[in-house]
Amino acid sequence: MRQQNELVKGSIDSLLLCLIGQQPMYGYQIIKELEDKSQGYFKYKEGTLYPALHRLEKAGLLVGKWEPTAGGRQRRYYHITAKGNKIFAEKKVQWLDFLAAMNLIISPIGA
Amino acid sequence: MKMRLTQYLQNLKAHLVMDPASEKDVIHELETHVEDSCLELQNAGLSEDEALDKCLTRLGSAKVLARQIYEANNQGTWRQALLAALPHLIFAIIFALKWWIDINILPIMFIVILGIAIYGWYHGKPYWLFPWLGYSLFPIVAAGVSLLYLPNAWAWITLGLYIPLVLLLLSFITIKFLKRDWSYSLLMLLPAAAFIGWLLAAGQKPGFPGLKINFMYGFAPWTSLTFLILATSVALFIRLRQRWLRITTLAISGVIISIVTILASNQLGPVSFIGLVLLILSFLIVPSFVERKVRKGQAAVIQTPLP
Repeated sequence: MRQQNELVKGSIDSLLLCLIGQQPMYGYQIIKELEDKSQGYFKYKEGTLYPALHRLEKAGLLVGKWEPTAGGRQRRYYHITAKGNKIFAEKKVQWLDFLAAMNLIISPIGA
Repeated sequence: MKMRLTQYLQNLKAHLVMDPASEKDVIHELETHVEDSCLELQNAGLSEDEALDKCLTRLGSAKVLARQIYEANNQGTWRQALLAALPHLIFAIIFALKWWIDINILPIMFIVILGIAIYGWYHGKPYWLFPWLGYSLFPIVAAGVSLLYLPNAWAWITLGLYIPLVLLLLSFITIKFLKRDWSYSLLMLLPAAAFIGWLLAAGQKPGFPGLKINFMYGFAPWTSLTFLILATSVALFIRLRQRWLRITTLAISGVIISIVTILASNQLGPVSFIGLVLLILSFLIVPSFVERKVRKGQAAVIQTPLP
């Protein structure tokens, strides 16, 4: 379980960049989206999410802006930057290579 | 319900240690998060209190969350670390190569440093600004110290007017930064400890200032080493994430500088060493104490109910 948590924590940057790259989102929305899209697998706590969002923002990969929601409330939406898109493209390649390599070991063809 | 949420957010604010604008942003962001989360839980059938309980449990300890947000926001880049260490490195070079003997070099350097400090002050007061600011105040403090060597009556005027004015200026700048994080004011104050160490060392030699040039000449390699220690500790401070590690790094570098000064002077004893260490400790304790007072005052303002 602990190893699974480490794996989930280690993937947060890529997941956030991917999700926010699809459309700007605010904190609560991100938690819900991650949970829904992963069918409950990724259940991030706020204590993990907000420090990660702030770290990515400080690194210039995201930018936060206060904007009104459809209901008129102000929420801090995170937008991906050009640098964020570039980093995500690199991370995506790394993840796909990693997954392919893992699959070759865990589920070898013809095994 | 509102009261418990306010208490949680106040607790978070007390541990955040950020500039007021960013602090406000973080608090407001978490407040909106709790609102959304509670609303959804209430729609799912929970009472207002149960929903808030669940939300706050998910958020976890305010202190831990504040520390995590601090660490995410305050780690500087290598570029910032280099910029912060640069004034120390410049002085290390000036003393190592004995350029300080050239009467034009030091005034030119202080003008350049003052220019960079003013630029930083009016461009968002970035983290690298603090050491530059410390050096830009250096000539003011040095002039005050040299005034003490004037004949008796003038020395009293100096004590009565100049020093309180300088202290007022230093307090104004320090308090300005305390609103962000008192640990940064250490970057500004730390070179002063080294400067006082040299003054103590030079104070053992007769005659001021002319006859002490020979002493300064022999002391220059050690002065250069002191600046290198400062540069390293400042760069580490900017790069480290944990606040306690940052403060420990500066405290250790202060003690090392004291040891170097005592050993190099060959005249100062354990009393001077203890005095220097106590001075450095006061640099650590006084801003922390003032910050607590400032924050307490801010919390009292927040707790005051609106008319």
